[in-house]
Amino acid sequence: MPLVDAPHLALSVGFWSDQFVNGLTTGSLYALIALGYTMVYGVLKMINFSHGEVFMLGSFAGYGILTAMGGNDISGVMVAVTILVALIGAMAVSAGTAAVVERIAYRPLRNAPRLAPLISAIGVSIFLQYLVLDQTDARAKFYPDIFPRGDFAAGPFDITYIQTFLIASSLAMMVFLYVIIQRTRMGRAIRAVAENPANASLMGVDVNRTIVMVFVLGAAMAGVAGVLHGLFFQTIRGSMGFLPGIKAFTAAVLGGIGSIPGAVAGGYALGFAETVGRELLNELPGVDLGNQWRDVIAFSLLVTILVFRPTGIFAERATSRA
Amino acid sequence: MNPIRQLGDTTVGRLPAAARWPLFLALVAMLPFLLSGVWIQMLFFVGLFIVLGLGLNVVVGFAGLLDLGYVAFFAAGAYSLGIMTSPGSPFDLNMNFWLVLPLGVLIAASFGVLLGLPVLPLRGDYLAIVTLGFGEIIRLFLVNREDVTAGSQGLSAIARPGIGSFRIETFTHWFYFILVAAVIVGFIASRLRDSRIGRAWEAIREDEDVAAAMGVNKVKYKLMAFAIGASVGGLGGVLYASFIGFINPAAFSLQVSIDVIAVVIIGGMGSTPGVILGSLVLVGFPRILQFKATADFLSKFEWLRDGLNGIIAAADTVVPGSIGRLPAASEWGRELSDDTRFIIFGALLVAIMVLRPEGLVPSRRRQLEFESDDQPVPAGGAA
Repeated sequence: MPLVDAPHLALSVGFWSDQFVNGLTTGSLYALIALGYTMVYGVLKMINFSHGEVFMLGSFAGYGILTAMGGNDISGVMVAVTILVALIGAMAVSAGTAAVVERIAYRPLRNAPRLAPLISAIGVSIFLQYLVLDQTDARAKFYPDIFPRGDFAAGPFDITYIQTFLIASSLAMMVFLYVIIQRTRMGRAIRAVAENPANASLMGVDVNRTIVMVFVLGAAMAGVAGVLHGLFFQTIRGSMGFLPGIKAFTAAVLGGIGSIPGAVAGGYALGFAETVGRELLNELPGVDLGNQWRDVIAFSLLVTILVFRPTGIFAERATSRA
Repeated sequence: MNPIRQLGDTTVGRLPAAARWPLFLALVAMLPFLLSGVWIQMLFFVGLFIVLGLGLNVVVGFAGLLDLGYVAFFAAGAYSLGIMTSPGSPFDLNMNFWLVLPLGVLIAASFGVLLGLPVLPLRGDYLAIVTLGFGEIIRLFLVNREDVTAGSQGLSAIARPGIGSFRIETFTHWFYFILVAAVIVGFIASRLRDSRIGRAWEAIREDEDVAAAMGVNKVKYKLMAFAIGASVGGLGGVLYASFIGFINPAAFSLQVSIDVIAVVIIGGMGSTPGVILGSLVLVGFPRILQFKATADFLSKFEWLRDGLNGIIAAADTVVPGSIGRLPAASEWGRELSDDTRFIIFGALLVAIMVLRPEGLVPSRRRQLEFESDDQPVPAGGAA
């Protein structure tokens, strides 16, 4: 701890760097979930309302795997192994759910009137959420407390191990997705379908299969986010998909919906707005926003963006208006 | 023309159109002489959701604006009455019910305009998610601003209406009260639908840009739809708060929005008979499942539960303990009407959209729209 003349300044540096790390943590989760919204929107021009629930199911899958493999008794090198298994299992469960949902609830409605797929998606969301609430008796579940505690300092930042793991694995997933989209044949197909489904189909791209892949990839990201959320916050419940879902959507809109780098940028922007931004607002005279107003900040941001700049703040090209 | 619709036209069609509604209402008005207690209470809630459904129908069915935050207006009405009449309110106003009724409706309507203004340029899915957020913000406000709403503690002893020395108190009184409200709202809604305003909404619903090009004032008519829908939601809130007598934020969750939206969509967007059927099935039936009489009746099926549990036990030998057993047969009704209700609603919303997007009792015009694909709607096909 360096010796500083003005103790309140040292305190406030620590305070702000904490807020920064918090913003980075929640921002990573928002970014991961936002990727699913933005990819589906990119190809289908629809908001996948059930995406928050896909995230929730991933979190529960991770919980199930961790508990089945020993729960709180896991220790040593097994911690790394079980967490890896949980991440992969959650990705599989989320991706499988999304693929089934696409087949049953979205594909038959691809050419239906505008409101139909939207209502169907809301139906799926309600169905999945209450299915889990019913199975868990609406009680919270607690992730096994196996992640090593502790933190280290990097310059003015104090980062716990779990935060490091969360941020690093989120970034790794984003790079993974980027490589798939930019460097593989499937990625090229996805980009082609997003550009123009009819033309892509004429070029020999299997549009239905590509759309399923978009859902699967987005859901896998959400599944990872679900496990990371569980490891970090520990408490999970059937209704947990709603708020992160709506906020990740905000993040996707913030970055320009349909754009993958935009979703990542939007996720982090929203993460910072909720933590650093709220504290900055609290610096203003007469403002005292408690933690519970975080959600209001996110919603107000959503409305403001949608009204004044529906293409998002980082949009490269103008997409059609909201 | 599909054969089912022809059948409908010939059988129902024998009764002159003008006589159908009066006859139906007369039959409904006789119900309190046939039923009692919990059944009338159940019918009050059905009536309440008919009122709410008719209001949301204006927004969703007529104008095509998917509002997922309808609970906000319901809450605005309920809290108007609560804050202005409850002795426990932070403002201690103790006003009269009849004075607050129009105020509550007005306050809810202004909430509708407040929500409507920023979302005017938005369409479809963006509108849905913003209204969802709006409903949530209202709930956060109710919980957190204890100085206005008394927070999670809630407001009790909310005023009940009376005329002279006559108080509206029993379930039967309330049944007739909600019936009158539903008839008034239904009448106004149907007159609006068939008016110039209704046609403007329809034009906006079908294609905003074309509507605007034809001289429809988008801003005015969208705001009007929001305000009318919201004021009906407010009316529902006032009636609910007065009937229940106690409100707290827990009663104004997203679930109310889901209930109303399910009533409107499953019943049939834009259709009044659809809203009535939707409320009976989605609101009435789950309440019937909770009756003690239902539990008594279901307890006769203990043998069925034993049999089913036997099958489950056989299946459970694969991974022992992985599948739960069925609860006592008498509990089935309550189980089904709880969270399970929403599982069914969700599945129903998907099923309706995929299989029968016009709803159970479609409005004539909507049905044509969904059936016609891209063919032009036949001339004179409007109801």
